[in-house]
Amino acid sequence: MGATFVVTLREAFEAALLLGLMYAYLDRVGARAHYGWVTAGGALGLVASLIAGVGVSFASGPLLDLGPDLVAAAVMFVAVALLTWHGWWMRQHARALQSDLQRRIDDARATQRLWIVGLVAFTGVFREGAETVLFLWGLMSQTNVTGASGVAGGVLGILVAAGLGWAMFRGGRQLSSRGFFTTTSVLLLVVAAGLFSSGIGRLIGLGMLPASAPLWDTSWVLGDDSLVGGFLSGLVGYRARPGALEVLGYVAYLVVAGWLLFGPRSRVTVPAPVRSGADVGA
Amino acid sequence: MTRWLVAALVAVTALGATARVGDAAQEVAVTIENNRFAPDEIKVKAGEPFVLVVTNKDKGPEEFESKELRIEKVVPAGKTLKIRVRALKPGTYPFVGEYHEATAKGRIVAE
Repeated sequence: MGATFVVTLREAFEAALLLGLMYAYLDRVGARAHYGWVTAGGALGLVASLIAGVGVSFASGPLLDLGPDLVAAAVMFVAVALLTWHGWWMRQHARALQSDLQRRIDDARATQRLWIVGLVAFTGVFREGAETVLFLWGLMSQTNVTGASGVAGGVLGILVAAGLGWAMFRGGRQLSSRGFFTTTSVLLLVVAAGLFSSGIGRLIGLGMLPASAPLWDTSWVLGDDSLVGGFLSGLVGYRARPGALEVLGYVAYLVVAGWLLFGPRSRVTVPAPVRSGADVGA
Repeated sequence: MTRWLVAALVAVTALGATARVGDAAQEVAVTIENNRFAPDEIKVKAGEPFVLVVTNKDKGPEEFESKELRIEKVVPAGKTLKIRVRALKPGTYPFVGEYHEATAKGRIVAE
């Protein structure tokens, strides 16, 4: 039971974190009536995970050999793009978000922000979802006592992860507007950097990018398989033995996205997408 | 946005296609049965990419995982699949069946 608890907790933590952040964001912009976007995104992510879990059981040949890996890598990079976009958008509109309620909602709607929040929820859940579904399914197919207590542990792991996401959401409400946006942006930045680096790691594993010896080895302090290591992996992309390209990718992402999110404001760097008159940000 | 997504997907697929060119690598078989790997030690030649042919004889799915090699691959019940592994430096590379970590353990020894 303990082992399955740790597995699902580890797998579900990142999804719970992202869902908590997205709900907190909608709460902050006064769009609580639109929580449904995040809920729908998360639910669709779950449905897609079920379909992928069942699909992989029926697939064979190259589709089974390579398909899931390519989907996994693509989901990671898409998630990175979405998170970066979300962070960038929050920055452009941070001032508007502190204005009156109706204007905030109009602004978010006018620039189609709400469905992006839903997409973030979708990718967050779908990323590890299929694996978790298969894991629990495998446990359920065991009819003995070990299987039953394993399922209990697995479900408990997901619930605890959800609780942590909820705590994140509650914590976000305590912060001032300024503190909220700064904290969220920093969190998004490190989560996305970790995802970007993981995506590179997957491509290295597939032989699509060159491998290298680990730049350092901290597995004696904090292993990848430990609970804390697992959390740090979801939160900041921790790896006990990272390769050169993974570290390079992580740092490069932090520099580029950090500049986008926290660098000096310049009108030249802000492209002007089509926006309605409700836009008062930037 | 949609264009970005499409571009990203195309790029990843293209990478996948290039990785499949030149499939002449050595194949090594490994079986999962009763939540254990057989053999649990896989010897390969260092410096040459190879293909792990993993067969899951159990009734439930298993996930072949090597944190070290950045491989995470679900092997559905009763299925056989191929995992391409990059050329390794001499050394020992542990792997586990993530769904049954207590028993499903093994290592790849490259020499």
